[in-house]
Amino acid sequence: MDTKAIAEATIKTCLQKGADAAEVYLETSRNLSFEVRKGELETVEEAAGVGAGIRVFVKGKMAFASSNDLGEKALEDAVGRAIAFARITTADPNNVLPDDKGMTEVSGLYDPAIAEIPMDRKIELARTAEKLALTDPRITKTDGARYQEAEGEITIANSSGLVKSFKAGGCGFSVSVVAEKGDQKSSGGEACSRRFFADLKPAEEVAAKAARDAYEALDPRPVKTQQAPVIFSPDVARAILGGILGAVNGERVLQGASFLEKKMGQRIGSELVTIVDDGTRAKGMASEPFDGEGVPTQKRVIVEKGILAGFLYNTIVAKRAGVRSTGNASRGGFSSLPGIGPHSFYMEAGSAKPEDIVRATKSGLLVKEVTGYGINPVNGNFSGGASGVWIEDGRIAFPVKGLTIAGTADAMLDGIDMVADDLDLDRTVTAPTFRIKMLQIGGE
Amino acid sequence: MNDRRYSVRDIPRREFLKAGLKGGAILAVSPLLFKGCVSGKPPAAPAIGLDDLNKVIAAALAKGGEFGEVYIEHRISRSILLEEGKFKSAVFGISQGAGVRVISGDKTGYAYTDEISQAKLLRAAEVASYVARGGKSVTPVDVKEEKRPSAITVKVPLQDVADEKRLEIMQRAHDAALSYDGRIKMASIDYYDEVRGRILANSEGLYLSDELPLLFFIVQTLGVGNDTSHMGRERLSRHSGIEMFDEFKPEDAARAAARESIVMLEAKDAPAGKLDVVMQNGWGGVLVHEAVGHPLEGDNISRETGVFVGKLGRKVASDKFTMVDDGSLPGFRGTTDFDDEGTQMKRNVLIEDGVLVKYMTDILSAKQIQADRTGNGRRESFRYFPIVRMTNTFIEAGADKPADILASTPSGLYVQSLSGGSVNPTDGVFNFTCREAYLIENGKKTAPVKGATLIGNCLDVIRGIDAVGDDLDFGPGICGKGQAAEVSAGQPTVRIRGINVGGSRAGR
Repeated sequence: MDTKAIAEATIKTCLQKGADAAEVYLETSRNLSFEVRKGELETVEEAAGVGAGIRVFVKGKMAFASSNDLGEKALEDAVGRAIAFARITTADPNNVLPDDKGMTEVSGLYDPAIAEIPMDRKIELARTAEKLALTDPRITKTDGARYQEAEGEITIANSSGLVKSFKAGGCGFSVSVVAEKGDQKSSGGEACSRRFFADLKPAEEVAAKAARDAYEALDPRPVKTQQAPVIFSPDVARAILGGILGAVNGERVLQGASFLEKKMGQRIGSELVTIVDDGTRAKGMASEPFDGEGVPTQKRVIVEKGILAGFLYNTIVAKRAGVRSTGNASRGGFSSLPGIGPHSFYMEAGSAKPEDIVRATKSGLLVKEVTGYGINPVNGNFSGGASGVWIEDGRIAFPVKGLTIAGTADAMLDGIDMVADDLDLDRTVTAPTFRIKMLQIGGE
Repeated sequence: MNDRRYSVRDIPRREFLKAGLKGGAILAVSPLLFKGCVSGKPPAAPAIGLDDLNKVIAAALAKGGEFGEVYIEHRISRSILLEEGKFKSAVFGISQGAGVRVISGDKTGYAYTDEISQAKLLRAAEVASYVARGGKSVTPVDVKEEKRPSAITVKVPLQDVADEKRLEIMQRAHDAALSYDGRIKMASIDYYDEVRGRILANSEGLYLSDELPLLFFIVQTLGVGNDTSHMGRERLSRHSGIEMFDEFKPEDAARAAARESIVMLEAKDAPAGKLDVVMQNGWGGVLVHEAVGHPLEGDNISRETGVFVGKLGRKVASDKFTMVDDGSLPGFRGTTDFDDEGTQMKRNVLIEDGVLVKYMTDILSAKQIQADRTGNGRRESFRYFPIVRMTNTFIEAGADKPADILASTPSGLYVQSLSGGSVNPTDGVFNFTCREAYLIENGKKTAPVKGATLIGNCLDVIRGIDAVGDDLDFGPGICGKGQAAEVSAGQPTVRIRGINVGGSRAGR
């Protein structure tokens, strides 16, 4: 299928039918997933799909229509729907499209081998992961192992003459198991996804982590409600970074719906906090040569040594703010308008060893799971459920479950006093192990 | 990292939040993996006759298998955003597609196609039949068209509504929000409607088709105080024509959101530790949706991983606790007449006076746990095969008076509304975020407190419910279990003894 030709022809149709400017986002994809349980293949899903998202501007008014049929007639119908819908929106001088014809060079987004590798080998990977996760006698049940792969091509064209496309793919597997002891049940799971099949972690490593997470949580003990240091493991980075992501969204900032609205250039965290958004890393799961509306991606520092240094923008919001797009237009697929989102969003590594942080903690909590919404991007308030292990005299003492932790973004970011060197950039929103020197913990 | 956590949200993720999903577990392989969203117009019925469907089902079962099915879907959707006084965007979606499923023993094969043609359906049938190699087989029964009564009535079809009417409804909500109080600095009105057409045919001879309208209206308001801000929200959703707004006024929804925004500007730090909690009637039922509903889903039971495995017929909750899932409540967000496998939805009492009496099932889990089909097999779209899902889930009304429940609670937390939450169905540990909550002092609601987390174990909670009001009410939401489902959750005012509350202030 010549997607560039379809995209350009559709742009022409938009202009002929009365649009002043138009953009077409085309997606073709193929995916495969399956699940193995108790060594047997339990579900298999396979499909290929296409879709087009058409954005039109009529006298400054914007509307959008999508179709999963790329036939000429279906696309013409979608164009008509979009143009008719533009009648009802409000004109805005900021409604513009990018014209940057550049692409950021990002290598390793597509592995042709994924499609070539025989199904049996993929099934064997999941089967092995499940079997290995079940080897520890404390692990009694399996919730299955899953494998998933997807690949496809994204093409963007607009009436400013921009036409570009890239191919990307990826694969991953995961396993979940249950540990039991008497009446207690505890689950553990681990996943690994990569751009290249050959880069996937060995089944042993993923299985061992899933099993460990399950059995290490058995026999939890209660702890008292108290204030104490809290160490965040890389598994729960999102609990703190998610709210920051929401708060550096350029549109939220303009709306006054961000706790970081007036903080540009000011200190918002301790000197140990540096946060980066990177869409350019080779083989990165969140990397791409251009964003959801065709703007080249970048690597940007968002917080530098505790000082707020940047917000995220797409083209329209950037125009409104009087700045340039940062290449952060994100799409939820062909059927939605470009919003604003991160690429690989992470806190930079420090120099401590994770075990040093535990050793330096007289009494405190090491969290391995945080539930809830994380930091509220509007006002910075934070409250979540937490489980993990309790630390006594610098050593892991016993598991804890059903606790709460709460605070405010200001106090949490300012309170980060140790950062480890264990950053794993193969995750997309991530951080190394770090410690907040004091947080309210709710327990007995 | 647990990829088996189930969650529920009160509102859809907006674009800027959606991007956060990229970091999720396996589904994050690339943006391409986002299985496209909502869309689709039921144009003319596809050119697939009953005979063609029989052939596809036969092909699906050619290698073996006990159950074969074809699901065809069309969807047309409109979504309009009014924010900061501007109609910022209007999004029109059209999608169609079909999925073929084969069940062989405990195995499921599934393939779907965007293009509805006999050739593509046969190809999907071949892919789906992969799992059935060498399995037991059945001879499919020829499909026969069936008509069923509907719990969804439409006066003014969404297809016939002029866009101006939609704008007018949105504008009314916007104006009501901003005029509520000078501290409301912004209102955001999300209007969404869709019509989903379904055709279902299976090897048991079933052929059903229908068309489901759905409305979802979300008002969010930003209140700005001296030193803090709060985003309030209110939602309306029904399977209904546009007449929904005659019964549920957009202005009322807007004022409810604005009221919350203003009240919460005065919120103090919430206490931390174990507290007695009184939950106001309505959407708070989402707590039992998560904490009790998910572990009662048949797939968790057949896998023997859930907390309620082996507890059928046993006392699991307090005498006052009766919990129901009812997909036949007229026009409710969780109601779809027959589920996405063709089983008629109905009232299912799950826990009666504290005794566990029923699990929810789809076709596969009903067979696995040897139970009846309860009408809980649902799917987000043709891109997914059906799994066990809730519909409209609620705590049945009791006899206590809401005012008495509050007055007889000397101290604790009064939860007026919740946002969303999640549960780990294996150990039953759930969490919820309070949207609007107050301290209870001397049997009275006093100061508002910041959004605290409630956390606990599902068994402890349902044993700890000691007062159940007579004021059952509902709210709409989105349930996530690898795929999204429209649900509602409900409850009367209830009191739960001793829940762990996660505030930022040391408890008493």
